Amino acid sequence: MAIELKAYPDLCHGCGNCVVACPVNALRSSEIAGGKGPTDEVEVIMVVEDGAINIKNSDLCGKCGTCVESCPVDAIRLEESE
Amino acid sequence: METTEVIEEGGNITVERAGEETRKLLFNNGLCAACGLCEEICPVEAIETNPTGAMIRTEQETSKITIDEGKCVLCGMCSSICPFQALDLQIDGTSIKEIPGYPQLIKSAEIDENECINCKACETACPQDAITITRELPKRKDLVTGEIEIDKDTCIYCGICEEMCPADAIEITHEEPTSINPVIASDINVDEDKCVHCGICKRVCPVDAIMQVCRICPYGEYEIELEPEITGTSYIDPELCVNCGWCQEICPVDAAKVTKPFEGELILDEEKCQGCETCVMVCPCNVLSFPKPEKVGDKPEKLHKDETFCIYCGACERSCPVDAITVKRKSINYTPTKSKAWQNAFESLTK
Repeated sequence: MAIELKAYPDLCHGCGNCVVACPVNALRSSEIAGGKGPTDEVEVIMVVEDGAINIKNSDLCGKCGTCVESCPVDAIRLEESE
Repeated sequence: METTEVIEEGGNITVERAGEETRKLLFNNGLCAACGLCEEICPVEAIETNPTGAMIRTEQETSKITIDEGKCVLCGMCSSICPFQALDLQIDGTSIKEIPGYPQLIKSAEIDENECINCKACETACPQDAITITRELPKRKDLVTGEIEIDKDTCIYCGICEEMCPADAIEITHEEPTSINPVIASDINVDEDKCVHCGICKRVCPVDAIMQVCRICPYGEYEIELEPEITGTSYIDPELCVNCGWCQEICPVDAAKVTKPFEGELILDEEKCQGCETCVMVCPCNVLSFPKPEKVGDKPEKLHKDETFCIYCGACERSCPVDAITVKRKSINYTPTKSKAWQNAFESLTK
């Protein structure tokens, strides 16, 4: 039983708020820190692909909850793993 | 001897072992700040603290910590170190905080009632809402003296005085005029308990129906004998208090005295910090805040700290997703113990 980052692409509107709000992403990618989606190959936690959120590297997540707060549609959550 | 664990809805946990003596570890989820000290001190790795940011910032149904009852030896070290009163080990119904020989954190917060002027600054500033100041204020009428009289025959019941009275002391009995009773009001009265003898009504009355005199005004700066007495009591909830020192700092008359359990240093890495605000939200002591620029274009520091209020619990360090915070706990204030194991356990938390 542990808390993990989980995305719900079906709910996602693809706004990218979580991608740029995430402090880990911002630290790793200067593009994200500047407020835009990454175009380089830097490894980040999550990106928007084809209009929906996709978690790429959950192991980088510090589980701070910033993305959860930034999401307007509850499409990214920190919840107990089953 | 089997150890059993009960997890209640709401996250409270009880771990219990019966035997020659009954040992019971109680965890209060509401008081826990997910700082991780219990996990750090546990000698058998029975405690795991859930991610601090996730637990404080997002809605979670699970407890802030998990206790593995298969590993827990009910030693009580977690209960002794917790600065938030969230853990309590009881032996045969008595908390080890009451049992001599067990080391206790030396921490306290007190308000000297003789010094306290009941201003409520501490109550307002306390980050845990642990302080209640109950105060009784003097009656307004005991602070003024004067005369007021309305000549009801002259009064035209226009209601101007009633509308302008800053103390709401004038009351007119308004009427709906009918052909039987063609009046707009039937009475006007002054509540002398409310009247402060400011004279507004007298000056504003269009028909000079009000006579009023203040007996204090002629004395100017010379105080005449009217002693206001403000009485009150203070209460600090010992369960909620985290000994952060806000009350001591904000008190204008030095009536509050706080002893903190830990001493140390809080180090912020401005380069790494991305301003996610997690630490600001998890800090139980309101140590951290975001400065606002004074004018457009100003670049204030990213994150502001005031260590006056820090108890070095480590919750912020644990919550930071980019390792921008370091909490160096330098010393722990605790009552002496003969047990080397306990001493080592406490000292292992200092750097």
